[in-house]
Amino acid sequence: MKKVNLKIWAGVFLLLFTVASCSDFLDINENPNQATTADLSLVLPQAIVATASRASAYNNYGAHFGGYMANAGGFSGFGTLLTYNLQPADYDGLWSTSFSGPLADLNYVIGKSEGIEEYVLYNAAAKIMMVVNYQMLVDAFGDIPYSEALNPGNTTPKYDDAATIYTSLVATLNAAIAQIDANPFAPALTAASDPLFGGNMANWKKYANTLKLRMLIRSNGNLSSLAGVEFLTDDAIVNPGYELNRPNPDWASWGRTVAGALSNSSRIPTTYAFAFYNGAKLLDAGRGETIFVNYPSTPTNQLGNEVGNPPIVSGQVTWASNQAGLTGTGVLKGPAMGRPLMLLAEAKFLLAEAQLKGGIAGDYTATFYEGITASFRYLYKTESGSLLAGANLTNLVDAYKTANDDKYLVEIEAATTDAQRLEAIITQKYIAVNMINSDEGWNEYRRTGYPVTVTGGAPSFDIASNKSIISARPDKLPTRVMYPSSEQQLNKPNYRNVDYTSERIFWDPN
Amino acid sequence: MKKILQLGMLLMLMAPIEGLFAQERTISGKVVAQEDNSPVPGVNIVIKGTGSGTATDLDGKYTIQVPAGATLVFTSIGFKSQEIVVGSRTTIDVQMTLEVSQLNEVVVTAGGLVVQRRELGNQATTIKATDLTQGKASNVAAGLAGKVPGLLVSAVSSGVNPNYRIVLRGNRSLLGNNQALLILDGVITPSAMLGNLNPEDIEDIQVLNGSGAAALYGSDASNGALIVTTKRGKSGAPEIKVSHTTTLEQVSYLPQLQREFGSGTTPDTPPSYTAYENQQYGPRFDGSIVVIGKPLADGSIQQVPYSATKKDARTAFWETGIQQQTDFSISASDDKSKLFLAGQRYTQESTVPFDKFSRYSVRANIDRKISNRLNAAIQTYYIANVYDISSAVGSAYNDVLMSPAHVDITKYKDWRNNPYANPNGYYNEYYDNPYFTLSNNRTDTKNNYLQTSMELKWNPIDPLTITGRLGYNSRNVFSKSTTGKFTFSPYTKSISGGSKTDIPGGVSESGAYETQLLFDFFGEYKTKITEDFSLNVVGGVQTRDNTSKSLNVSVSGLVISDLYNVSNSTTNLGGGAGFGHASQVGVYGDIRLGFRDFIYLHATGRNDWRSVLAKENRSFFYPAVDVSLILSDAIPSLKDASWLDALKIRGGYSQVGQVNLGQQYWGAYQLSATFGQGSGYPYSGNGGFTLGDVVVSPNLKPEITTSVEGGFDLDLNEYGASIGATFYKSNTVDQTVNVQVSRATGYTSMRMNVGEVENKGIETYLRATPIQTSYGLSASVQVTYTLNRNEVIALADGNADLTLSTFGGSRIVAKKGYPFPYLEVSDYKRTAEGKVIVDAATGMPSIAADYIQVGTTSPPHILGLSGSVKYRGFTLGGTAEYRNGHYIYNGVTTSFDFSGAGIRNTWFDRARFVFPNSVYEDPESPGTYIENTNLTTYTGGADFWTSGSYNTGIGANYTHSAGFWKIREISLRYDFPASWLAPAKVIKAANVSLQGRNLFIWTPKTNIYTDPEYSANGADSNAIGYISISQTPPGRYFGATISLTF
Repeated sequence: MKKVNLKIWAGVFLLLFTVASCSDFLDINENPNQATTADLSLVLPQAIVATASRASAYNNYGAHFGGYMANAGGFSGFGTLLTYNLQPADYDGLWSTSFSGPLADLNYVIGKSEGIEEYVLYNAAAKIMMVVNYQMLVDAFGDIPYSEALNPGNTTPKYDDAATIYTSLVATLNAAIAQIDANPFAPALTAASDPLFGGNMANWKKYANTLKLRMLIRSNGNLSSLAGVEFLTDDAIVNPGYELNRPNPDWASWGRTVAGALSNSSRIPTTYAFAFYNGAKLLDAGRGETIFVNYPSTPTNQLGNEVGNPPIVSGQVTWASNQAGLTGTGVLKGPAMGRPLMLLAEAKFLLAEAQLKGGIAGDYTATFYEGITASFRYLYKTESGSLLAGANLTNLVDAYKTANDDKYLVEIEAATTDAQRLEAIITQKYIAVNMINSDEGWNEYRRTGYPVTVTGGAPSFDIASNKSIISARPDKLPTRVMYPSSEQQLNKPNYRNVDYTSERIFWDPN
Repeated sequence: MKKILQLGMLLMLMAPIEGLFAQERTISGKVVAQEDNSPVPGVNIVIKGTGSGTATDLDGKYTIQVPAGATLVFTSIGFKSQEIVVGSRTTIDVQMTLEVSQLNEVVVTAGGLVVQRRELGNQATTIKATDLTQGKASNVAAGLAGKVPGLLVSAVSSGVNPNYRIVLRGNRSLLGNNQALLILDGVITPSAMLGNLNPEDIEDIQVLNGSGAAALYGSDASNGALIVTTKRGKSGAPEIKVSHTTTLEQVSYLPQLQREFGSGTTPDTPPSYTAYENQQYGPRFDGSIVVIGKPLADGSIQQVPYSATKKDARTAFWETGIQQQTDFSISASDDKSKLFLAGQRYTQESTVPFDKFSRYSVRANIDRKISNRLNAAIQTYYIANVYDISSAVGSAYNDVLMSPAHVDITKYKDWRNNPYANPNGYYNEYYDNPYFTLSNNRTDTKNNYLQTSMELKWNPIDPLTITGRLGYNSRNVFSKSTTGKFTFSPYTKSISGGSKTDIPGGVSESGAYETQLLFDFFGEYKTKITEDFSLNVVGGVQTRDNTSKSLNVSVSGLVISDLYNVSNSTTNLGGGAGFGHASQVGVYGDIRLGFRDFIYLHATGRNDWRSVLAKENRSFFYPAVDVSLILSDAIPSLKDASWLDALKIRGGYSQVGQVNLGQQYWGAYQLSATFGQGSGYPYSGNGGFTLGDVVVSPNLKPEITTSVEGGFDLDLNEYGASIGATFYKSNTVDQTVNVQVSRATGYTSMRMNVGEVENKGIETYLRATPIQTSYGLSASVQVTYTLNRNEVIALADGNADLTLSTFGGSRIVAKKGYPFPYLEVSDYKRTAEGKVIVDAATGMPSIAADYIQVGTTSPPHILGLSGSVKYRGFTLGGTAEYRNGHYIYNGVTTSFDFSGAGIRNTWFDRARFVFPNSVYEDPESPGTYIENTNLTTYTGGADFWTSGSYNTGIGANYTHSAGFWKIREISLRYDFPASWLAPAKVIKAANVSLQGRNLFIWTPKTNIYTDPEYSANGADSNAIGYISISQTPPGRYFGATISLTF
């Protein structure tokens, strides 16, 4: 009896060990669905395109605060968009998507390429794109995590002083430029790995210089290091190959869905912004016809007005021309158009301001008109990026000047003071970035107070929502957005509730 | 269980019965079990005081000679003995009731092993088929609610084939699975199977509340287990059962809607009527005739009285659901084989218009004795279910609430032919006809489940049994979702601005399979070491292998309307695929030492190897011990106590490891951060990758749950009462959690081992049969009460809380020092005394910066009541349940207050009002507050109620107690007497029954919305405590069943 038992038990245990030691059975945890490593040549271009998507999101944010976009008829429930009764949750996406999107990817590229010669241009380009993303964040949120950011080892990064971050960003640009200069024979970026400049490092340097110019002007910095450098000579546009099925983010937001339905039917232009096109403030048929549906009979509204406000033009994309010969131009050219990170027009107006203030030598008047011409030029570009056949920019700009004869906002020679000249430059910039980089219009409005607003005036002259609950400020606009709810919940040691009616970004004197 | 007892009785039949001596009279009769009227063979019948008697035969019949004035004593193991005075009767039929003291009851435990209940050191409850199917619930889970101490069954959704969440002893794991493990005929089975089992196939369900009892099942058993045993073929004559149930479902618990104001929108001064508006902030109803909508192209327009329709159309929209269930089963056997075959067809028409569901199942359970020492068993279960439902039920419900009370939306069902129902002519400018929404957005899903297992038991020598078992589960699912193309007419577009945009249509198709292969091999050695000591040793190995694959394709933008094929599109195909594979090996041992049948020491140990963990952390061991002591057998004075039948005390300690790396692919591939194509890539031949948002901490380990429990079971002789209580405490450490981190880290979350959750509680039960008469009236009751208190003891450094889910102005968190899950909501700015601070100029409140603490979302208190009354053939049974101490947030602000349909926004008659319980700041001395008695809000209409800052964004406005009392089931059954059926010969038994389920629900007054059992996040999410508009109103069920046995 006993012996039988032993044999059986021996058999059982033998079996146990055979199965248990079969480690192949357990070595199956290799991910068949997702990559666990990725080459920098795949991460950098994606980060650039992600930055373009952020630029589109910032445009949407700026379009609401900067007076470009209003509520259309047929919709209600806009809530804080009209009252400016801001909540932490309102602009969480601007913050969260920037950090966990392009910034994390750029940080990865920089970390993996640091000190590796083969990837030195990846490193430089990633640094420049990092500056672009950080600057957008600082301009919206002020002090943000920077020195301790992008490190999962520290889950509650402290907030750094915004002005200090600006200084550091300028230094980062300098480092990137120096890297490009020091490595003329480094393996080049390609059209595939660089959807911004297609590997043209001269353009990267020009872009870096223009970003420096923007930050130094905004922070009232010393421009001397920019003497003699080259700035952008063309629009800085990201286009990885957008097409109908993989559309440009602006087209996806405000144009049409892939299936052809309208993406937007709840927003129309503000009467305030439209007044720069229809003659109420300035007359600008040349650009208005390219931008707005049914120009000059485009439905517009003062932000906040919910009584008798017109709906969109049925079935039509609001910010797209439906004028014969001009369809496919303007700000929503089509799904395949590129996404501008910075317009040449903006670069020119920045330079004009620097020249006006004497920080950089040169003729601000000529630069100012180059800016207006560059704006026309961008708007008359077609979906493919080439200038519309038959468009004569000289004639168009001349017609614009003639229609607004002796108005210093267009003919800067008519201005009598530097204040008026600055107003002209900033107002033209405000017009140029309309629905392209509207956030820059909003930033510059906060820095300079231009274009002017008449609180309580006619809708053509009042930039703010007529439902604004902000009573402390003359313009009835908020000064900034709140820190996001994700920080409120997840970075408690550093989060603080800001007063969005009085706390200003460091470069905002108003 | 009863089967096994009967086997014992048959053996006893063969025992010699004492010779009979001369009697004066002959008495005959039949002995049946009170539980189900089945004959009880082998009942000893003794003439009191003589020691002489007889026993019942296979059909439960007996004949006996008795002297005048005799008393008969009926006894049988497992049943209570009965004494009956013969009197002048010649026929005495007896119903035997089960002995409530069930210490000798046979219980299935881990691995399919059986032990007597006296040996168990942990809490376990048996639910029998009759209790489970009393209310004829189509879902097994529904039949469990309120019947088991410690078990929380929540119906988390409405509609067809609703989902249930099943949790034992509270939520242990922060983000991992907390649902009980399902064991079907000894095989670990995906929990989704429970909702697809045919309840009529089930013999019984053992509920093992704690991880200790289930430890041998491996690491998934840390949540306790439900051990489902299906019916087997019965010995004896073949038996065929046929039954049919028809059930009607009626939407019963509706949100409170206002019926005073018609359509109108902001601004609200003064409210004006808008004929085509969805918002209901217009003037008060006055009965005048108004137009609704805009004119059709031919100029015609609808006119209705401006008053609420007689029957609220938003209630009438929900239809009467019909469920039809037909069951068939056959049981047959010979001396070597037993066979059980069962089939079910179940069809359901939903309360949601157009929605349907059906389910077909087939089961074959076969046992075969191959030789005296080798037995084989095989069971297969196949089930197919088909859903034909709308994919937009939530938006349709929203559409319903976006319709004012003076419009009868039920007239618009025929949207294809009725011009006012067609989207072109539908009166509502901004929201669709709900019938159109439902019918234009459809999903067809077909699921095929196969569950099969094969088992060989070899008995080489008497004390040793070697068992090998192979189990296989699979699910194949195909699903197709369609959205119809709709182009608005040029006329409609011309009068509608931006609100009518064409629907491009679309179609998506998906297919997936999941399989599980489970292999068990174990030996059990049972012996008596000496006269006093018994020993039971088990050793075994288990391997498990899971795979799954899924594919999906979709397009939007159809070319040809009504052709739903992914090739019929203007756009590129979108799609994806995924594959998962995980495996595990477990080796275990189990030893049970008994002394004189009154004390048992039991220890188990198991080591697991899991493929989803890194090699160095893959192997983990966990032990468990328990002890059971039968005091009533151990202590002579208790043994002889006449009031006491049995008293057992028990206690246990256990550890179980659980790997919680997410439910997808059983946690495979979670150890490294991943990259995916991002930002719309690929573009024109180029790829672009982005770093995933989750960073993984190296060295992920299993979670370990350590539990202790102790309790007693007391059986009294009086009233067959039994009382039991179990105290437990479990601590789960090293939780695997995706901790959300500041986005400034570049990630959204970090996967790491952190935190500890403690659960403590009491489970109690009381069962009794207070009425038991010889003329056939009996009544029994069961009360169960469960108290669970849990607390998050620790979380990640620097993280005071962990957000599980956010919704509107609320969030569900795990918060250190608080119960889990925990609800926090936004609130108005208040003073320290809790008074709402309103603006001294406008009288309006404002939102506070921080969320307030509300409470747990899982009920600490659960009380279950069930009972039955039997008289002759009638059985009346019922179950009620009470839960309280928890809270819920209704994320329905848009549908109820933005729309104006809800009752809240009429509480102040839509006029300016003094905000209740409010103060305003003293302009003279800032920082002090003046009681507000006269300062009214500057608006009390749409501008107030639709505003996020004043109303809808304030989570506290939509938060309330989730407590309830529910009458879950009531059933009345009549069994036709055998004497009626006898002449027909073919029918052996017949019964009819009426049953109602979800009959009544009582909730606190603050719950003006819906059934607080629902969870918007589904059954698998621990973030319970949210309700969204996708949970349509709950139904009340009324059914009738006829059942025949041949």
